[in-house]
Amino acid sequence: MVVTGARTMTVEVSNRSSLGKPGLGSTTVDDIRRGLLTQLAALGARFVNAEQAAATVRVSLSENLQNYVWVAKLQLGANQASGVEPAVVIVSLPRPETRAVEAEAAAMVLHKTSLWSQQDRILDVAVMERNPGRNPAHMLVLDSRGVVFYRLQDGQWQAEQTLAITHSRPWPRDLRGRLQLRQDHVFDAYLPGVFCRTTATSPLAMTCYEGDDAWPIGTNLFSLNAVFSSSRNYFSGALLPGVGKQTTTAPFYSAASFPRGQSTLWLFAAVDGQVHLLDGATDQVMGKLGWGSDIASVRSGCGSGWQVLATGNGDGSTDTVRAFEVPGGEPMAASAALEIAGGITGLWTETAGTESGGTESGESSAVAVVRNWETGRYEAFRLTLTCGR
Amino acid sequence: MTLDPTDSSQPDSWATRSLSRLIFDTLVILDGRGQLQPALSSTWQVEPGNQRWQFSIRRGVTFQDGTAVSPDAVAASLRSANPNWKVFASGQAVVIECEAPTANLPAILAQSRYGVAKRAGGKLTGSGPFAISGWDPGKKLSLTGRDDYWGGRTFLDAIEIAMGKSFREQMILLDLGKADVVGVAPDQARHAVLEGRRVENSAPAEYMALVFARDRQSVEDGKLRQALGLSLDRESMNNVLLQGGGEPSGALLPDWMTGYAFLFPTAVDMRRAQLLRGEVPQAPAWTLGYDTSDPLARVITERIVLNASDAGLRLQATNSSTADVRLVRVPLASLDARVALTSLAARLGLPQPKFNDDSADGLYIAENALLQSQRVIPLLYLRSTVALGAGLRNWTEAPDGGWQLQNVWLGTEKP
Repeated sequence: MVVTGARTMTVEVSNRSSLGKPGLGSTTVDDIRRGLLTQLAALGARFVNAEQAAATVRVSLSENLQNYVWVAKLQLGANQASGVEPAVVIVSLPRPETRAVEAEAAAMVLHKTSLWSQQDRILDVAVMERNPGRNPAHMLVLDSRGVVFYRLQDGQWQAEQTLAITHSRPWPRDLRGRLQLRQDHVFDAYLPGVFCRTTATSPLAMTCYEGDDAWPIGTNLFSLNAVFSSSRNYFSGALLPGVGKQTTTAPFYSAASFPRGQSTLWLFAAVDGQVHLLDGATDQVMGKLGWGSDIASVRSGCGSGWQVLATGNGDGSTDTVRAFEVPGGEPMAASAALEIAGGITGLWTETAGTESGGTESGESSAVAVVRNWETGRYEAFRLTLTCGR
Repeated sequence: MTLDPTDSSQPDSWATRSLSRLIFDTLVILDGRGQLQPALSSTWQVEPGNQRWQFSIRRGVTFQDGTAVSPDAVAASLRSANPNWKVFASGQAVVIECEAPTANLPAILAQSRYGVAKRAGGKLTGSGPFAISGWDPGKKLSLTGRDDYWGGRTFLDAIEIAMGKSFREQMILLDLGKADVVGVAPDQARHAVLEGRRVENSAPAEYMALVFARDRQSVEDGKLRQALGLSLDRESMNNVLLQGGGEPSGALLPDWMTGYAFLFPTAVDMRRAQLLRGEVPQAPAWTLGYDTSDPLARVITERIVLNASDAGLRLQATNSSTADVRLVRVPLASLDARVALTSLAARLGLPQPKFNDDSADGLYIAENALLQSQRVIPLLYLRSTVALGAGLRNWTEAPDGGWQLQNVWLGTEKP
């Protein structure tokens, strides 16, 4: 806006937008007001009381579906008295992405680190670390079209290769997928009704097959595979080779495992909203947990060593993830709920891979994929737990 | 009543649009933020001048009868939807040549009335996520989820839609567990919440306004129209009559869509209304037409007559279609502000808005010019409200009230 003529003015700034609300960026209304006054002063404006001002500028910081909308009403003193309509100037600028608010610390602290963000739905992300030191070297991003291989160069991820996924049937709604780093070749990708495998040697290539190959749902320590319903967004409940003698459970969205003495217990977030606990002999339905459909296990080394990360079951604009310990088969919160700005669409235990091709024992973190409702973009985060304050 | 998306004789409502989208795909869609997303068309491009557009058609998509959605089929459907366009297939694409520059054609095509339909042998089929399995016009529609839908199989296997039920009948069906989603009258939304029901509201997206049948006839006529606008107590209409089921509006488009609607005042100013009325010695008595089958329109009309009377204006409520002023309800046509304003202007009988550029300022200038004509007196924007059954999950509604039933699923109660 260019102001000419009137040199003395009063400027009022009011906020009608989400600016300044928690999780919606650090820019405050005061920052904008200061910037505005600085620019006007540079143009020769002098700021005085309303009674002495030759002009009154009322700036409203508003917003619409896509943009911040800043509206300035300029009224010259003489016109104010005569009832002349003020001049209106409107500018808009894109609303930035929202930022998540980290919850207060509890016994354990859940952290999130941004890995990747893109417009297309992310299904899974796998990071291959540089050996030694766990510095990321390569990253794989799985989406509905393929796997993109990124290399870290000068602190930036640079796309190096795209491996397309071929499939003849339409993908189901709420598409899910999983990447699994391998020791004898680079990785496998699992999608509904489609299994893809890379070559072991350079140049890297990927071949996809149509079929109902069971997906790996366990960790390197606790291996388990499950059949995914090719036209749905959940596992059928068939387990391979099974948990002890149990080879089936209720259809489920996700699973988590943790050791108990010499055996392994498995939790399944079932399609009917219940959580099932399988110990190899019995299938127990847990009480009211308030969990969402995504769970995953992480080996933090804190507490009992293993925790289960579970999403909340809220329907709001933000989702939550919280760590639980499961002593005696009854989950107990081990961290505060970490708020995520958006809806979690995927949560997998991360099996860290190394640049040399192998997989580490890993499992100390999980990958969460989030759809940011504000921006519509998908974001992948690494979730890690640290021990207490 | 027909399901044909191009049938302009159908009453335009959120429900009809939402149902149409279950059966018929459009070339593009607008997401919840009003941004274009690919649908039947995966990419599109325009030639300089914004008159000739080319939309590439997604391969492998089929109609519900199993036949391919070919560029020829899409072109035939679009020609039927808008005879003023020259539409033809070109390879795997469809070319649309408009009569005039149309910079926002993709957003126009995202409207449900441009749903791609195949008409053969008196039968109507679409390529949407649900196939028609039964249709008793005006009474009942049965839909079945398609396993081969290109956008992913719906979570629901089937949907049955009962039509022609009053709000009260719908609520009884919900209470009996015979319905999972029912409509709620705007003025009953608050009551439904107080009863502990699961209620979802859209953004205020149905326009309610007074529309004059003729252009302003004289300076005096303009003063009387201004007086009428200033006399209306929109806050009271919303808070008391609608129980907060809407938002007072002084603009044509809602504030959540433009971000500047607050510039157009909504407050009652009876003193100024009386002054303006006093400047016109001979004020005619206007007839005010409204839909007598709409209980909400009736109470709003009564309040308008009362407010106008306080300003010294005489309004006579009537069900005549040739009234001087009409109370109208128009759902927003699009989440794209320019398409919404253009469509609203057409529905209200206003001149087509002129946009100087793509800026927010340009939109404001075009909207302000329409309001300055004094053909319309804005009143309110109403919300679309539904009550949901306990087992219904993942209900999402676009800000303009569009339902997204393809994402809904039915769960059991948590233990």
